[in-house]
Amino acid sequence: MNGRARNIIIGLDGVPYELLKDLSDSGVMPNVGALIQKGTFRKMSSSIPEVSSVAWSSIITGANPAEHGIFGFTDIPPNTYRLSFPNFDNLKVTPFWEKDNNSKHVLLNIPATYPARKVNGVLISGFVALDLEKAVYPEDLIPNLAEIDYKIDVDSEKAHRSLELFIKDLNRTNEARIAAYRHLWVKEWDTFMLVFTGTDRLMHFLWDAYEDEGHKHNADFKNFFKRIDESIGEILSRVDDSDNVIILSDHGFEKLEMDVYVNTVLIKGGMLKLKEGAASNYSNIDHGTKAFALDPARIYINLKDKYPRGSVDPKDKKSVIHDIIRRFENLLFEGTKVIRNIYKKEEVYRGRFMDMAPDIVLVGNKGFNLKASLASGEIFSKGVFTGKHSQHNAFILINKKELINIPEYPSVSDVIGIINSLNGGGQWKANSTTENVPAGTARP
Amino acid sequence: MNYLDKLENQSIFIIREAYAQFRNVAMLWSIGKDSTTLLWLVRKAFFGKIPFPVVHLDTSYKFNEIYEFRERYAKEWGLNLIVGRNEEALSLKMGPEKGKFECCTMLKTDALKKVIEKYKFKALYLAIRRDEHGIRAKERIFSPRDEDFEWDYKNQPPELWDQYKTKTRTEEHIRVHPLLGWREIDIWEYIKREKLPIVSLYYSKRGLRYRSIGCACCCNPVKSNADTVDKIINELKTSRISERSGRAQDKESAYIMQKLRSLGYM
Ligand SMILES: [Zn+2]
Repeated sequence: MNGRARNIIIGLDGVPYELLKDLSDSGVMPNVGALIQKGTFRKMSSSIPEVSSVAWSSIITGANPAEHGIFGFTDIPPNTYRLSFPNFDNLKVTPFWEKDNNSKHVLLNIPATYPARKVNGVLISGFVALDLEKAVYPEDLIPNLAEIDYKIDVDSEKAHRSLELFIKDLNRTNEARIAAYRHLWVKEWDTFMLVFTGTDRLMHFLWDAYEDEGHKHNADFKNFFKRIDESIGEILSRVDDSDNVIILSDHGFEKLEMDVYVNTVLIKGGMLKLKEGAASNYSNIDHGTKAFALDPARIYINLKDKYPRGSVDPKDKKSVIHDIIRRFENLLFEGTKVIRNIYKKEEVYRGRFMDMAPDIVLVGNKGFNLKASLASGEIFSKGVFTGKHSQHNAFILINKKELINIPEYPSVSDVIGIINSLNGGGQWKANSTTENVPAGTARP
Repeated sequence: MNYLDKLENQSIFIIREAYAQFRNVAMLWSIGKDSTTLLWLVRKAFFGKIPFPVVHLDTSYKFNEIYEFRERYAKEWGLNLIVGRNEEALSLKMGPEKGKFECCTMLKTDALKKVIEKYKFKALYLAIRRDEHGIRAKERIFSPRDEDFEWDYKNQPPELWDQYKTKTRTEEHIRVHPLLGWREIDIWEYIKREKLPIVSLYYSKRGLRYRSIGCACCCNPVKSNADTVDKIINELKTSRISERSGRAQDKESAYIMQKLRSLGYM
């Protein structure tokens, strides 16, 4: 330790500002409630798109997607139609701990940090990590994790069969996470970062249980958050006032009213063509395709020279984009507008990797869950999920009031800067090449 | 005692103990080398007459050689063979052209679920080995016991089984892995010693052979001239290519897709 304050960063994946406030006010989360009274609590905007891999990459680097290179859980490299899955190796800039090798860092379950690599301290990767043996640095921790039945993520498949089994597995995964944090806490460190990801999984499947007091899993929902609060309370009891405690989420959540299939809109509009009789895969995108979407709602223009069966001439790109925007602006479900924001890439991204960025990104109106999927057939349908991500209402909560530099409505790529100002210096230099540009972030 | 005898004894002990505990059991037979070795051990454990069914999950997209082998030895060894097929999915024309992931999941996992539901098996023998590459073997170590019961017979004596039974009461079944301690080369040495019949796909034809087999659509052969068991053993001693390399990439992608899909992406 260098005699300076320690930083404790606790991530609550997907937890919206309003829910945290509500559960604090209603006494489910008393420790968080006390911290809200005492510290600084702000609504925060997520990345665009509002998915965990993108948002956490922004949080740990201070960069926007066109700088850090992570635009979603999936990608299609130029000159192919092959779906790829970007991981930590594809992150183009360094996370804060690799810029501060003189300090010791413990990093537990941060999404998009797989495969694990060397750090001055400990790194245990989060979602999507395939193989625990490649998710742990240093390796000699693996037996300890095995002993506590550590699991990277709950088996969400279970929720599709039985919510009871899912809840059981969710709680068990969470308990193992808590056991792992306790095991690592006693090590020597300057930064301790821990992300609880079960919150996101719970809200995907059981948002309805939160909203409905009479729901048979209402107590399960609250108990999960209660347990998170207890862990936060435990951590708070182990720090002193000079330490910085930052609790934050990567995106918000809200009730899911309807799934909306972006590629189906394109197919029905004649802008996306799949090979006759073939599977609904990206590899079967056919000639004549003007655009296609990747999850959740990133639209790429099928440019000549960029893709194998590219069919849009660069000089026509503008008018194709215009056409797509018009189509989605006017998309209605039972009289309600489906799309809230339509961003052209120049409006939200800045950086060296603009070429990788989607040409258009859509953000849905309240309740409308945008999905890519080539195989839906329908534009609108409803699946098993009852909650969906939201872009505008992540949160950040800090145990200090006298902050030097926090925007009224920060974004996920501001987090590094905020922590720096807490530390009274800039040892965790953000990777942003474009100071003061709210890149990758919408501020409605 | 020689090394293979030791492995054989341990496996047979596990097989008998599991049967004594659970009775209503079955084993999965993919017709591959590992599960055929397991089948051989099970036959030995019960002196040639297996007292429970042998389940083959049939995707109907398998190699012809596999079907021929299955029919021949099911008869010769007097197996009580259950063929699990997901007729529902097959009738919907589910096949690799719908995407490899859907193919594997629908056809294998769902077929297995249906078989277990129908026969109410309490335990299943699987031919998983600890040295297998890819996500399957690794995930096992950290999977909760209800999902993919890891049984380290050295640390978990049979007396503890009752505890596991109550612990997993609400879950589907318990998985027993008698081959956990075997390596790929042990399997081949054993095949050689016991003169075990093995599907011809493992032997080189025109410079290619399969090191592991599954659906015809999801497996790629490796370059090899090993067309006898001896040559295969020799190749394994010198080669450094992973057993599952032929399908590792696809499997990793399929696994990520499954994870993402279960959360509503894709
Ligand atoms: Zn989520």
